[in-house]
This record gives sequence, C-alpha cells and structure tokens, in this order.
Amino acid sequence: MAAGNPILQIDNITLVFGGVTALNGISFDVAEGEICAVIGPNGAGKSSMLNVINGVYVPQEGRVVFKGQDCTRMRPRQIAQLGMARTFQNIGLFQGMTVLENILTGRCMKIRSTWLEQGLNIGRARREEVENRRAVEEVIEFLHLQGIRKTPVGKLPYGLQKRVELARALVAEPTMLLQDEPMTGMNLEEKKDMSCFALEINREYGTTIVLIEHDMSVVMDISDHVVVLDYGAKIGDGTPDEVKNNQDVIDAYLGVTH
Amino acid sequence: MGFDWVFFTELIVGGLMSGVMYSLVAIGFVLIYKSSGIFNFAQGTMLLFAALTFVKLTEGGVNFWVALPVSMGTMVVFGILVERFMMRPLANQSLLSLFMATVGLAILIEGLAQYMWDSAIHGLQLADFLDLALLDPVNMTIFVVDYIEWLDILISKFDVFATIVAGTMILILAVFFQKTRTGMSLRAVSDDHLAAMAVGIPLSRVWALVWAVTGIIALIAGLLWAERVSVSFTLVEAVLKALPVILIGGLTSIPGAIVGGLIIGVGEKLGEIYLGDLIGVQGIETWFSYFIALVFLLFRPSGLFGLKTIERV
Amino acid sequence: MIYRETGTFITSYLEDRKLFPIPFDKWAMAVFMLFMIFVVPFIASDYWLAAHLIPILAYGTAALGLNLLTGMTGQLSLGTAGFMCFGAFFTFNIMLRSPEWMNLPLAMVLAGSVTGVIGIIFGLPSIRIKGFYLLVSTLAAQYFALWFFRSYPYFLNYATATVTLPDHHFDLFGIGETFDVDMASFEAKYLMSLGIVTALALFAKNLMRSATGRNFMAVRDMDIAASVIGIPVIRTKMLAFFVSCFYCGVGGALFCYAYLQVLGIRTFEMNRSFEILFMAIIGGLGSIAGSFYGTVLVYEFPILFSWAGDYLFKGAFDTAVVDNVAKITYGILIIALLIREPGGLAALWATAKQKLRTWPFPH
Repeated sequence: MAAGNPILQIDNITLVFGGVTALNGISFDVAEGEICAVIGPNGAGKSSMLNVINGVYVPQEGRVVFKGQDCTRMRPRQIAQLGMARTFQNIGLFQGMTVLENILTGRCMKIRSTWLEQGLNIGRARREEVENRRAVEEVIEFLHLQGIRKTPVGKLPYGLQKRVELARALVAEPTMLLQDEPMTGMNLEEKKDMSCFALEINREYGTTIVLIEHDMSVVMDISDHVVVLDYGAKIGDGTPDEVKNNQDVIDAYLGVTH
Repeated sequence: MGFDWVFFTELIVGGLMSGVMYSLVAIGFVLIYKSSGIFNFAQGTMLLFAALTFVKLTEGGVNFWVALPVSMGTMVVFGILVERFMMRPLANQSLLSLFMATVGLAILIEGLAQYMWDSAIHGLQLADFLDLALLDPVNMTIFVVDYIEWLDILISKFDVFATIVAGTMILILAVFFQKTRTGMSLRAVSDDHLAAMAVGIPLSRVWALVWAVTGIIALIAGLLWAERVSVSFTLVEAVLKALPVILIGGLTSIPGAIVGGLIIGVGEKLGEIYLGDLIGVQGIETWFSYFIALVFLLFRPSGLFGLKTIERV
Repeated sequence: MIYRETGTFITSYLEDRKLFPIPFDKWAMAVFMLFMIFVVPFIASDYWLAAHLIPILAYGTAALGLNLLTGMTGQLSLGTAGFMCFGAFFTFNIMLRSPEWMNLPLAMVLAGSVTGVIGIIFGLPSIRIKGFYLLVSTLAAQYFALWFFRSYPYFLNYATATVTLPDHHFDLFGIGETFDVDMASFEAKYLMSLGIVTALALFAKNLMRSATGRNFMAVRDMDIAASVIGIPVIRTKMLAFFVSCFYCGVGGALFCYAYLQVLGIRTFEMNRSFEILFMAIIGGLGSIAGSFYGTVLVYEFPILFSWAGDYLFKGAFDTAVVDNVAKITYGILIIALLIREPGGLAALWATAKQKLRTWPFPH
C-alpha cells in the first residue's frame, strides 16, 4: 500500500532506566497505511520503543505524536482510544479466560452500557453483547480460530496464543497496530500464516502496522519501511533495500567479519 | 504547659524498643518471602506453637537449658515436615495458592498446639528464667528489677535485652546470607527457583532450612513477645501488627524489616499520644500502624528497601 | 444419556451466552429453587433454618462479595468482616432513624451502597499498591471499622456491647400487621434472605458474563495488557471494590438481622474475615457458585465434626479436644485441597460434570 502522510511521529525520544539509557534521541516517522519494521539486535531497545509509543513507559525527553496529537504523556488507555492496538512479546493474554472472552475484551472501548445495566442484563447491555460477539466472530473467522472459541487460552500452544492475541488487538478496529515479535518461536508455516495476516490486515483495513521482527526474510518481504536500532540509537531508516545496503546496519546487525 | 521533653524522649525510646520487637517477628516473614515468594501467614501461629512448647516444657519442670534446645529441635523438625508435605507438592502453583496453604497451616498449627498442650493462657516470665539461668540466680535482680534510669529516662531492662538479642540475630542472618554458600543458594532460589534448580541447588533442602530457621526465629520472637502479652492467641494477633512493618520495609529486605519496625514502633506511640489527643478519641493504635504503612507505600509501592520491579511487556 | 449438550443447537449469539446451556442444568436449578422457596420453609425446623440455612445464606453473600474482589479482580482482601460491620451498623441506623416507610431490604441496599463507597476509599491504594502489599489497606479497613464503632457509641444507639434487633424492623410494607403474619419468624427471615441472596447471585452472574466481568478478570490476569487494550484499570478496580463491599455490607446486615438477631461489634472481629476468606478459597476463587459450596463446607465442617465426635465416641473426648482435632483436620484438608485442586470445590464439581458429560465413553 502506498505510503501517505505521517500518522506517527517519533521525535528525539530518550528513555533512561536508572543509569541505563535504553533509547537515545530516536526520531522517525511512520506513514499512514504502511508496514514499518523495527529491527535490531537483542537489547537494542525495540520493545522499549513500542512501550514508549503506546504509553507504557514515559520517556525522559522527546515527543510522540499520533494522528496529530501529542501523546507522550498519555496513559495507555487514552492512546488505545485514539486507535492504537498492540500485541506483546511474551503474550499478554488473560490466562484465566477463554479465547472468546479474551477477544471480547478487545471490544471494551465500544461498551456504552453501565455495570448496573449489565448486572441486570437489560436493554442496551444485552444488545451490546450480541453486537460485540458479531464483531468478534468476524475476526475469529478471519484468523481461523473457530475451533477453539471456548478453550481457556492457557491450554493453547504458543503459536495459537499469538494468533488469539492478534485477534484481540484487531477486534478493537485500530488504525495502527503494534506487533512485538509476532513470529518468534513459530515454525515456518505459522510464520507464513502470520505474515499473510499482517499483509491482509494492512490491505483490507488499511491499518498501519509497526512490527518488531528478527526474521530478516520476513521483514524484507512484507515491510515498506525499516527502522534499525542498535544500543538504543537509530542507525538505519528507509526502504528495505536502502537498509540492506546501509554499511552501518550491515556492520551492526547483519554482521561482517572485523 | 511547656513541651515535656523527657516524656517525649521516653516515648521515642519506648517506641524504638517495641519497634525492635516488631522487627523480630517481621524477619521471619521476610526470610520465607525471600526464599519462596510466599507471604507466610502461619508465622503468628508458629510463634505461639514455639512459645507454648517451651512453656509447657518448663512448666513440666524441665531446666531452661534443656527446654531451649528441645524447643529449637521441635521447630527444626517442624520446618522439615512443612517442606516435605506442603512446599514440595505445591512447588509450581500460584502464589495465592501458596498463601492460602500457609493459612491452612496456621489453622493446623493452632489446633495442634492446643491439642498437644492446651488452650489456657500461660504466663511466661522470661525475665525470671534469664536471671535464674544466666546472671543472678541468688538475688534475681538483673532482669526482674525492671528499669534502668538514664538521663531521667526510664528504660525497661528487658527491652534492652530484647534489642540486643534482635540485633545479634540480624547480624547472624546478614552474615549467613552474604557470606555462606547456603545463604547464596538461598538468594538464588528466591530470584528464580527453577533456574536455581537447573544449576543444581537442592531446592527442597534450602526450603527445609529456611523453614527451620524461621521456626527458630519464631521461637525466640515468641519468647520475647510472650513476656509482654502472655502465651495465648493474642500472640497470633501481635503478628498481624508486624504486617505493616514488613510492608513498609519491603517484603524482601531484612534491613527493611528493622527500619520498618522502628518507624511503626515510634509512629504508633506518637500517634496514640499526640494524634489521639488531637481528635479526642482513644485506641487509634489499632489501625494507626496500617495507616502509617499506607502512607509510606503510596510513595514507595514496594516498600523502602523492597526490590523495585520494572514492568516489562 | 440425560446429561448431554447433544440435541441443543445454538442458533443465536444470545443463546450461546445463556446461564445454563444444558437444559438439564436449567431444570435442575429451577426445581432446586422451587424446593428452596415452597418446600423448605414448611419442612425445615426452626433449628435447621436458624442454625444452618440462614447463616449459610448470610455467610455466602459475604463470601461472594470477597470472591468478586479477590477471585475475579485479583485484589487480596482481609477486611471482609470490617466491611460487613459497616453494612450491619448502617442498616441498623437507617432502620432506626428513618420514617415508617423504610423497610429492611431497602435499608440494606442503602447501607450496602455506603459500604461500597467506604470500600472505594480503602481500595484507592490499590491504584499504586499491588499484591500482598495491598493487605495493609484492607487490614486497615478491618481495624478501622472495629475502632470506629467502638469509639462512637451513637451507631449502637448507646447500648453496651450489643443491641437486640427489634421485630418491627422486619415488617415489609405492613404485610405483617395487615395479614397478621409474623415477619420476624425464622421462615420469613429465611425467605427474605433467600430472595436477597438469589437476586445478588444472579446480578453477580450477569455482571461476570458481560463486559464488566471481563474487565475484572483482565485486570486480575494482567493489568498492563488490560490498560494497553483500553480497559480503564483504575475505574475497574474501584468498581470491583464498590460491588464487593456492597455484597459484604449486605452480607453483614443479613448476618446480624437474619442470623444472630443482635448487633454487636464483636461479631466482626478479624477471625470472621479469615473464615470468609476460606469459604471463598475452598469454594473456588473466581466462581460464583463456588462461594456457596465453600460456605456450606466451611460452615458445616466443625458442626459435622463435633456431631460425629459425639456420635461415634459418645462423649468420650472432651469438646476442646474434638475442636482441636477438627482444626487440625481442617488445616490438612485445606492444604490437601490446594495441592489436589487449586480451583477449589467449584473446579472439582466442573471436572465431575465433564466426566458425566462424556460418560460412558470418556474418549
């Protein structure tokens, strides 16, 4: 999909934990409708970057602008309300709930009925449950999760859990989706599925995707834009081809003999 | 009326002393929490059990010097049994389950203590014993004469003794944790028991040891506390009073338990006298310590010395 | 062949979220409720009502309240008896100090709401404090409640120790006077308790299968992920404290009005909090029906045990001995249950039902 205006602007972000500088003056833009991959060796600060973007960490310096709004100091929930969804590196599913319930939580921002109405199970509350269920079923179909609706997520294999997590993020109808290593620990076939899902989400719904991934062939295949981090600093930014030929990146990441 | 400095200082000193007593109980909690992440609810009943064992032995005419090691031995056996029949089967379960198990253990011990001994309230004049056993069997004056005077301030000798005992114990534990091999494996276990097992630390032995040591601490704390509140169910409640202490200090820190104890000890006394006067109601000490703890926790959610965790996702 | 899903076809999303997806369950529940309403009051003796059924209903309400907070939302609480205390005292004071038209259920709802607000105040620290550290806040509530009502005898109408609750508090809309029914009889109290408990349990069940319930569980399982997907974590926690303390407050009111028939501070000592915690845990944290299974077991266990002791050994043992053996057995039972089935009785029951569903071909 063709890149549009920047929907997310990262401006000079610095994040420090105690004495460790996790991110050091990082800036980049993500254009509307693109798939942007953030890559870098382990410990480069990729996950921290995502955490800053959706408000889990507050950076010491710099600004995050999403859809024209400064959301550097917003709480994760406020940023979610602006249309950002996210999946986690170590699976952020609610382990005590079934697949269906987990995905339904993704619709929490669409709920208008109060807890009293829900407790009494009247009017609006009943209607909303059905509407949300319909939306959830669409996503279930899209990601082929039909057979496991009522299974507790803790009993699912790793690859499926990642897919359920993606479903939970998608069902919120986000304009931007952050994925933290969606394909790590998957076999080749599952990886292929996940990449296809990412591409389809991007094309069908026009969702902008920022993903962290280690598998270079996947990154080069599906992304429109690649940002390379190393030791908390940005060392590369551009199209996959540009990055591939960037000497710094080759040195730091793809590895050359010194 | 001018500000009564002597009274104030006496209050502070008294507060510090009772703080030491709180710390003693708190250390037991911290040990278990550090090594297995459990909040050991049975600590209070362990105190009761240990103190009762000792009291019944001495009431049966057993000499102090025999009763003490026998009670200690009982607590060690107890520690081993707890590890074998409770900790080991529950090893991989959620912390809440483990917490509940310790609550179950508390009931079990309470029943056991009362079944083996009885449920009457026992007085324990540890001070008498100490004079008899150690220092002055003829005149019985060193501990039984209660107070020493220092700059117009009265300090209970027994409190001084308790402070010294607590201090010594803390020192021993600190050395044990930092310098010995077992102490090191204990710290490893507390960080990650699966990883510790993978490098060959005998998990069950470490746990058994911790429970045994906690049992011994419970005995000492129980005896010192019993001097104040008698050996009965009130001992168990006394332990709930130690709760804010550990929480202020941070569940993982032994120095924290000490500082927390002192803060609560002093804060409680001051609050009772001055704040109680101010709002004109008695008895606020029943909840005041929790209130102090809350204020501290609001600023430092994992206590003063507790491990700060950065949440990673 | 009775216990099957087969033959039930789900044709709409509403049907899929029914309370009793299996028809047999629905009918069993209906029969059980009819039995409880129309048969039990006539066949049960005053002893059975006053010493078994009513206390179980009162305890069950408080256990359910605690379960909503600890089991569903993951906020550990040791202040249950304190919140019950608030509920009971406020109910009494509302009844005592309002005009004629006030009635007991309404007073309980009002008192429960006030208790809920107090619960929110003591729940505020949960915004920053997590896990076992939160115990300090709920313990503060427990001790504060006891201290408060001890310090201000106004709330006990200046009585010493206890107040006997007057019979006329039980009259509903003048029914008692008009039809000359004894509204303070055990039958009437039992039916009132049953009605309140059924309504509250149903409300809780509805809440838990809707968005609010999912928010509760999301906060329990992983609060960071919950906030990232847009769940208002703080508001959810506060709501959990409100609802839970509402239930505990009503439970406390039932405990005094329907069960003990006197109001006093000593009813709500620390031990009561633990008792209710056991009920919730043994029944199964996170299960509404479990709260009641746990209540039955924890409440009846010592009674059964001492009865068995009397019956089997004909009083050969001292009651104190029997009590202590009961405690030991009980402690072992708790540990054993946690080792075998951390999900409590509710999980055991679910496994049994699952077996029944696939019987006689378990594969």
